Amino acid sequence: MATDLKSWAVKFKNLSDSDKALSAMARYYTCTYMWDMGEAKVIIEMLDGKVRNINIDPAPLDAYDFALRASAQTWREFARPVPRPMFHGIWAASFRHDLTMEGNILVMMQNLRNFTLQFEMLRKCGVPV
Amino acid sequence: MARHSPVSGRYVTIDVDGMEYKVFYLQNGTGQPLICQHTAGCHNHQWRGLLEDEEITKNYNVIAYDLPRHGKSDPPHNSRWWESEYKLTADHYVNFILKLCDALELRDPIFMGSSFGGNVALQLALRHPDRFKAVIPVEASDYAPGFFLDWWRHPHSNAAQVCASGTWDLMAPQSPEMDRWLTWFYYSQGSESFKGDLYFYSVDHDLREELERIDGRKCPVIMMTGTYDYLTTPEMTENTARRIKGGVYIEMEDIGHFPMSENYPVFKIYLKEALRIIHERKG
Repeated sequence: MATDLKSWAVKFKNLSDSDKALSAMARYYTCTYMWDMGEAKVIIEMLDGKVRNINIDPAPLDAYDFALRASAQTWREFARPVPRPMFHGIWAASFRHDLTMEGNILVMMQNLRNFTLQFEMLRKCGVPV
Repeated sequence: MARHSPVSGRYVTIDVDGMEYKVFYLQNGTGQPLICQHTAGCHNHQWRGLLEDEEITKNYNVIAYDLPRHGKSDPPHNSRWWESEYKLTADHYVNFILKLCDALELRDPIFMGSSFGGNVALQLALRHPDRFKAVIPVEASDYAPGFFLDWWRHPHSNAAQVCASGTWDLMAPQSPEMDRWLTWFYYSQGSESFKGDLYFYSVDHDLREELERIDGRKCPVIMMTGTYDYLTTPEMTENTARRIKGGVYIEMEDIGHFPMSENYPVFKIYLKEALRIIHERKG
């Protein structure tokens, strides 16, 4: 069941800010990224490992470093507690399904460890689509 | 009292295509030689579960080596290797394995490798079927494009973590957390070699026109792939095995691209089946 955007953002921020694995390498985890889930888009702003802001209604020119885009159905698959094969990560879904990675991919690579951890938090907090 | 492992490590120096390599290998067990190749950009700790498995080592002499430029095996000692970009070729990889087996005096060994190790197992079955009792290509296929990327060795990012986190979702979510993070840790150590290994894996290795020349009745080819492997999918492996005379395909449920390292107890179930088939066919 889709969670409404506002409560999802609160849940996600709390999960991320309290995550021990992410906190173990929090310093310099500073970037801004978009998750385009088809029916909803969010821009998540990270500052030294903490969620500084989640923009749940991005305007056309709101900036971000990089984006993940996929259909709402694909994002729902990501959010299963144990995702099915080929929906179990961003690389898997970009190779085998409709996920695309766009924008400044270098920034994503520079922050890949923590970004990967955050992506997997969707299995706990769900997706707002 | 100290808790010593039965596994021991040793070096052997060999010459391959003019390169002098001091090769490190771990060994445990007696009986049928089972020589194991780790995955690209990694090292022989991936085989830690197998090396200490008494059920296997009571009948198999398990040898897990570090390919040169990986783990405790240095780059060549007689070459200014830092002056060129490392790119592993099929010819050199095969020649290395043959020289190592000869140096260790392995008679009728079974060769098992994963990922690029699985792909070279297919090369060995094609080029030198008489040298090996059988091959077990794990997470392998005739052709595996798409992974020879600059990102693995980019000077503007933390290459160690790109290699480690970039291979994270090659593993199944069901695999134990400790074993996935250990595999992550190993991958953080191999960023100088990962991209060069993948030259073999994604570029130089291409057996799409050669599979029919492999005779799995002479040298059994037992292929195994995990259902969570997005890079070499179960379908790719099955299609490869189907085109090899006598080829066998075993699908491994709920496991990924590093099965022996991410979840050894599950991998072992399928490995035992592969070894049983080989024993049945070759004794």
